Parts: sequence; structure tokens; C-alpha cells
Amino acid sequence: MIRIQVNGENHELGQELASMPLLWVLRDKLKLKGTKFGCGKGLCGACTVHFNGRPARACQLPVSAAAGGEIRTIEGLSADGDHPLQRAWVAEDVPQCGYCQSGQLMSAAALLASGKPLNDDAIRNAMSGNICRCGTYGRINRAIKRAAAEGGLA
Amino acid sequence: MKARNAQNIQLPRRRFLKQGALLTSGLAVGFHWSSAAVAATAPQDDFEPNAWVRVLPDGTVKLVVHKHDSGTGTRTALAACVAEELEVDPMAVEVITPENPFFEAYMHPLWHVFSTGGSTSISLEYDRLRQAGAMAREMLVAAAAARWGLAPADCRARDGRVHHDVSGRTAGYGELTEAAAKLPAPEAVRLKAPSEFRYIGKLRHKRDALEKVSGRLRYSIDVELPGMLVAVVLRAPVIDARVEGLDTTAALQVPGVRQVIRVPARPDVLGGNQEGVAVLADDYWSAQQGREVLQLRWSQSAFAEFDSDALPGLFAAAIEDPARPLVRSHEAGDVDGAWPLAARLLEADYGMPYKAQNPLEPVCVTAELADGRLSFWGGVQVPSFAREAARTICGLGEEQVVIHELISGGSFGAREAKYWLMEAAYLAQQAGKPVKLMNSREDEVRALFGHAATLHRLKGALDADGGLSALRLRALSPASGEQWEPGYDDRPDQMDYSTTEAISAWDFAYHTPHLDLGWVRYETGVPTGWYRSVSFIPNVFAVESFMDELAQAAGRDPLDFRLAHMQERPRHVRVLQEAAELAGWGRPLPQGTALGLATHQGYGSYVAVVARLSRQPGGLRVERLSCVVDCGLAVSPGGVEEQIYGGLMWGLGHALFDRIDIRQGAVVQSNFHDYRVARMSDMPEIEIRILEGDPDKPGGVGELTSPPVAPAIANAIQRLTGQRLRETPLDLGLKA
Repeated sequence: MIRIQVNGENHELGQELASMPLLWVLRDKLKLKGTKFGCGKGLCGACTVHFNGRPARACQLPVSAAAGGEIRTIEGLSADGDHPLQRAWVAEDVPQCGYCQSGQLMSAAALLASGKPLNDDAIRNAMSGNICRCGTYGRINRAIKRAAAEGGLA
Repeated sequence: MKARNAQNIQLPRRRFLKQGALLTSGLAVGFHWSSAAVAATAPQDDFEPNAWVRVLPDGTVKLVVHKHDSGTGTRTALAACVAEELEVDPMAVEVITPENPFFEAYMHPLWHVFSTGGSTSISLEYDRLRQAGAMAREMLVAAAAARWGLAPADCRARDGRVHHDVSGRTAGYGELTEAAAKLPAPEAVRLKAPSEFRYIGKLRHKRDALEKVSGRLRYSIDVELPGMLVAVVLRAPVIDARVEGLDTTAALQVPGVRQVIRVPARPDVLGGNQEGVAVLADDYWSAQQGREVLQLRWSQSAFAEFDSDALPGLFAAAIEDPARPLVRSHEAGDVDGAWPLAARLLEADYGMPYKAQNPLEPVCVTAELADGRLSFWGGVQVPSFAREAARTICGLGEEQVVIHELISGGSFGAREAKYWLMEAAYLAQQAGKPVKLMNSREDEVRALFGHAATLHRLKGALDADGGLSALRLRALSPASGEQWEPGYDDRPDQMDYSTTEAISAWDFAYHTPHLDLGWVRYETGVPTGWYRSVSFIPNVFAVESFMDELAQAAGRDPLDFRLAHMQERPRHVRVLQEAAELAGWGRPLPQGTALGLATHQGYGSYVAVVARLSRQPGGLRVERLSCVVDCGLAVSPGGVEEQIYGGLMWGLGHALFDRIDIRQGAVVQSNFHDYRVARMSDMPEIEIRILEGDPDKPGGVGELTSPPVAPAIANAIQRLTGQRLRETPLDLGLKA
């Protein structure tokens, strides 16, 4: 048995899934579809989740390696989409197609939670692993600053 | 009092209504139900005055958006055009996709196909969507007025209700549906003046944002149906290769793998799929594992020796070959007579490579063939292609095609390809189950049907005063997918309008006495397709680079030189002047810094871009892009701004990154490590100014701003380093 904890809930998976990337376990076994597939090589950030509080690429993490850790996905970021970053994302109207935004938000949430001083360099460093093909980078930058200003550091 | 600019519009009634359905059913409509089976399910009390408006007796308002939303915001902006006139809040009503995607009213008014593209969704639909909203509003007002024994002119609609202000009487739209549905459609409707707009020109947010930021919006990739299998396709590694030997034993032993199906190539269908072998499994990961152990032998192909590095040489040899088909797109005077009189002659070639669209959601669609119907779930940008897949693969007509249309994770042309719809239809038919076809990123990069490689050759003559006296341009490229337009081959001019963008008589920016612009058709056989901004990209890169080269040769300022050769283009002149002002053109710059300028017009909109580059220890850096746009009326200013930004980012990609190489007939690149796309760290400072344009006419913006970026950067590189780069991607590693 592989035991994983996702958004505070415990799940048991058969050993035959050991090598399946966490991304596909989340999407196809646990039916948590908010985490997206973009490249399968850890290059685009669409599948970013938090593993023990740090951003991780779920497509690169065999589920056996995630056992015993705490996994948080976009579904667990807030109950009703009211995390300060999600509110800021809506206020700045960040998403275009929206496909990359789960990953963008999880990267941004880890940055915000890290307590590092927020400036353009810090945002660029934390967010440049997340590709957006529509071009929402400018608004992402503004939304992160808005969330921080509105108390998102809590 | 009549508001200024309010318009009285004669309605093209036949577009909305089929005679007969109206009176017999007691509904104002019913026209869009193409089969009795569907009509039978239609609620009898709904008010459905036209293809875009549904009002239910409980007051629910549903607006139909018949254009695909790939993140472009059509579901917000198009709904707002209807809602504005209907007097409902576009963010509060329901937005639905067409029940029958093949209803005549949803056909693209220029292309006569069911499709979304060409930056036309707002510019071409604006008037008739407003008419649709106004028509419904006037019928609801008339129903209320009749109920109250008043003249409709004494009543007004607002926020989903009809009001009679004098008496204080009011009725919700829902209460009026039954009566409104029995009224004749008005012959003419009054459209609001721009000064009366409450939503158009003021939208700052899009629908679906909360669903997108909470991971709840369902994309094509998220579709699940009972009994569904997931398919991945191993496609011919070398273009046009065919399967010669296939051993499925190992693949079928992978847990979860259920079937292996050979998908035959369809070279008989324009844009048809390459040959491939599909692995169908319970989930994507299993299918992918199965694909990796497929034992396959591919046939030799005519492309086995094809190398895209050889193309520039082949193109250069062909571009002036009189045996090649040449279609003149713009002609004036006599260039051959002008060359000998020139004070100075200039010639230059410009090249661009193949490019992939790479939407972040790889192409994906679910198809099921059941009960004599072919159903698709996904971002189906071109319903006409779904229909064609149903016809060619399953022998079904459009009445048997059902589309469950979803917002897609980007398109940029990728979802205007046809191969994946054909493959999905075939797999659904062969598997006898719902099949979700998924591309990996590698599949997406190697999908073909991307942007064509091109070569442009320009020759210009300067007179003694440094004016442009003659210009010749040859744009070498394959024909676009324009060919699928019915009657293409019968057209006397043989013009391919999607290849000659920006170089035709009606849209070439510059005036000179002697002009000869033309398209040289060269088919390499490599499948190419639609791509955000299509031929504007290479055409504008060549022309705007060459204008700078001419200006430099003439010893003139590039801005002045452009303005001197524009005639009767006030909007174009204004964006250029404003962009120059915004970027500080002509003012002193820090050491090691230079500006480059380029401009463009299309889709009824105008843009100018100034790139600011600086010299850094490791090479050159794009510091800033300043961009001024006149798109007429911006229906959704927030949406316009993000399209401008996205276009600039795409232009940066063309300038610095985008490149597909083909060696021995196979695409070399495979994923984001070797097909680079712009990341946040690549973005320069972006300045955007949107001018207040014609309040009555929205232009297109989706594909407006990418084409001028690459030439603006190339022009800045030249001014900074003295080196002229004429092939993209441009090398910023230059030292000078």
C-alpha cells in the first residue's frame, strides 16, 4: 500500500501504481482535475503542487516518492477560491485561457508563504518556471503584489 | 430625446427566422432546431427570438456565444454585445454554446464555414449581436406595453425588466416570455448610442475567472465518460511514412492498455492526419507506457532526406524563378522602368523558420460514436472540421454531429487543425467506445500544421531626395489553409488572402509610385497550418525591416521616412507618432541603448511598437516594448489590453525563440527545453497605450501586436550594433 495525504485527506493506493507520477494519480485516480498536464518533463509548471509546503512538479514525482508527505493541490488552496491570491487573481482578471493558472497560483502561494521580501526579482525568480502561453505575466506580477498588500502573507 | 449616434437598423429578418416555424409552434422561433427529436425537448414557453437570445419563464436569460473561447474572452465580450442591447448584465446571465453549431446564423460571415479565427469574432459579429439583443428587447417591451395598454415608446427596458416610469409599473422578462414569443419580430430595431453603453467599452473582467483560479473549470483534458478509453497516437516520425510492420504484444501487456489501433493516413483530405498507431488504455499514463514499447517498422518516405536547413538555399533559388506560380498582390506604375532612374538601389532577403503553436493545453478531444451520432467533447474551434471528420470517417451528416463545446487551454492556430478530429472520429468508430485523444507535449511540438517557413526578397529604389521611388517584394511561402474555402480554385485572382496579408492593395502601408508586390507559391509538402497572426508575421518582418534599411540608406530618420510614405492613413500615422512619443523617440538615450520602430495594421486596427535594447555583458537585452494601438472601439478594454500584451509576448517569441527544424524528414525539437517559449524572466518592460478610436467600430486585436515586434527588435539591433539581422530567431549574443 502507498499512503498519500492530499489536501488533508488520506488515500491508499495499490503498489502497482508506485511509479505513476503524482500528477496522474491526482487527475485519474483521485479525480482532482485542477492540476494540469502541460509537458510531462517538469518544464512548464502547469502541474505545480505543494509537497511538504514547497512547490513541486507533480509530473516528475513518482507517487511512491510522495508517500508520507503532505500534498496540497489547487483544490486545497482554499475552500471557495477565496485565498488572497485567488481573490487577487480575479481582481486583476489574470486568467486568459486559465490552463496554467493552477500551477501559477501554487507557485505564487509558495512564494507568499515563504515570507521572502516581495519585489520584481523575487517574483520573477519564483514564477519563471511556470509558462503561460497567453501572456498573463504582467498581471500575475500585479496580482501577487496585490495579494501581499492585502494581507496575503498570513 | 434621441441619443446622438443612435442607429435605426433594418433587420435582415431571414437571417434570424425561418418562415412558418413561427406561427405553427406559437413560439417566436424554433428555427434552430434542426431535427424533430431536438425540437421536442425544447420548452414551449421559452422566448427565443433569434440565434443568440433565450429567455425562460423563470426569468433566466441565456445568451448563446457561437465563437470558440481559447482564452480570448469571446464568452465575455460577445455576450456583452447582446446583453448591452437586451439590458441585462453580461456577467450575471448564463452563457451557453449553440445547441446546433451548424445553424446558418452561426456561419462565419466572410469564410462561410463554422469557425473561430482571424481576429474577427468581435469586429464581424458586433453589429448583428447587438441587433439580436435589441430585437429581443423590443419584443419584450412590446409585450409589456400590450399588457398595460400602453405604447411601447412609453416603456423602457433595464436590468432584465420592462418599466413604465410614469405609473411605476414593471414586469420581469420571465413574465413576458409567453406574450413576447407570440409577437411578430420587429422590422427594424433601435441600437443604443455609444454614450448609452453600460457594458461595452467598460468591461474589465472576464467570466469564468473564479472557476479558472480555483481549478474548477473543465477543459477538454478533464472530460470523463463512462467506459471511456484514453488514446495516445504514435505518429509517423518522418513525414508521410507509413506503418510497414507492427507488433503490439509488448504494448498490450502493459497494465491498463486495452487496444492498439492503426490509424491510416488521410492524404486525400486537405489537412488530414498522418499515419499513426494509437494505444488505448484506461488512463493516459498507461497509454503512454504502452506507446513506449510499441514495436514498429516505418516505410521509407519521400521526406527521408528533407532538411529544413536546405530551405533558405532552395527558396532563394526559386523566388525569382519564372516557372514558379506568382500571384501579384499589389501593383502600381512600372518598377522595371524605375530601377535605372534610381539614385540608389537596395536589395535584401529575410527568412523565418517553421514554428509551433504550443498551446499550454495540448490538443485533446473526446469522441463517441453511438446511436448513429458522432459526439465531440472539447475545444472544437472549427465545427466545420468536426463535420468533415464525421462525413469522411463515419459517413454521417451534420444532423448527426453533436459538439459539447468547451473553453480550451489556448489555441493560437493549433485547434484550427483537422488531423486530431479525424483521428478521434476514427478511434471512436474503431473502438466502439468513447475515446479521449490526448497529445503529449512532444506530440504537440511535432504535430506539424504549424507556421510555414518563408523567404522574402525586397528591392527598393531611392530617388535623389531620399524618397522611395520603387519597391518590389516577393513573398515565398506555401498556400495557406485558405484553400479549403469553397471556390478557391475558381477565383480569378488566385490570391491567397491569408498569405498576402499586409502586402495587398488594400492594406499595404506605404505609398510609392512604382510597386510590384507578389506571392510566390512554394510547396515543400511539409504540412503547415494556422498560426496566430499567420502571414502578417513574415510579411511585416520583411517590410518593416526593409523600411529601416531604406531609411538608413537615405540618411533619414526611420519614423520620418515611414510617415513620408504614408498617404491618407491618419490612424496609422497617429499610432506611429504616439508610439514614438511614448518611447522617447528622438530624445537622447543612455550609452549602449537604442530604439527600433515598426508598425502594422490589420483587422481594422493599427499598431506601432518601439523596442528598446541595451548592450549587456552577455549580449543584447530587450529592455522595453512600447506599444500604441488604435482598435476603434474596445468592447472589452481589459480584454484588449491582455490581447495586446499576449501579442507582444508572441512577437518576442518570433524574434528570439520560435524555430522548428526538420532533419531527415523528422521534427528535431520535442519539448520546452529545446522549443523555447517566453517566460516571465524573458519579458521586458511593457508599455501599452490604447487610443480612443472610432466609437462605432471595433477592430480585431488578437493577432494585431505580434508582427511588428520582431522587426522593431531587429531595427534596434541594427542601430545598436551596426549589424542587420535578416533571419529569425535573432541572435542577441551579438557583440559590437
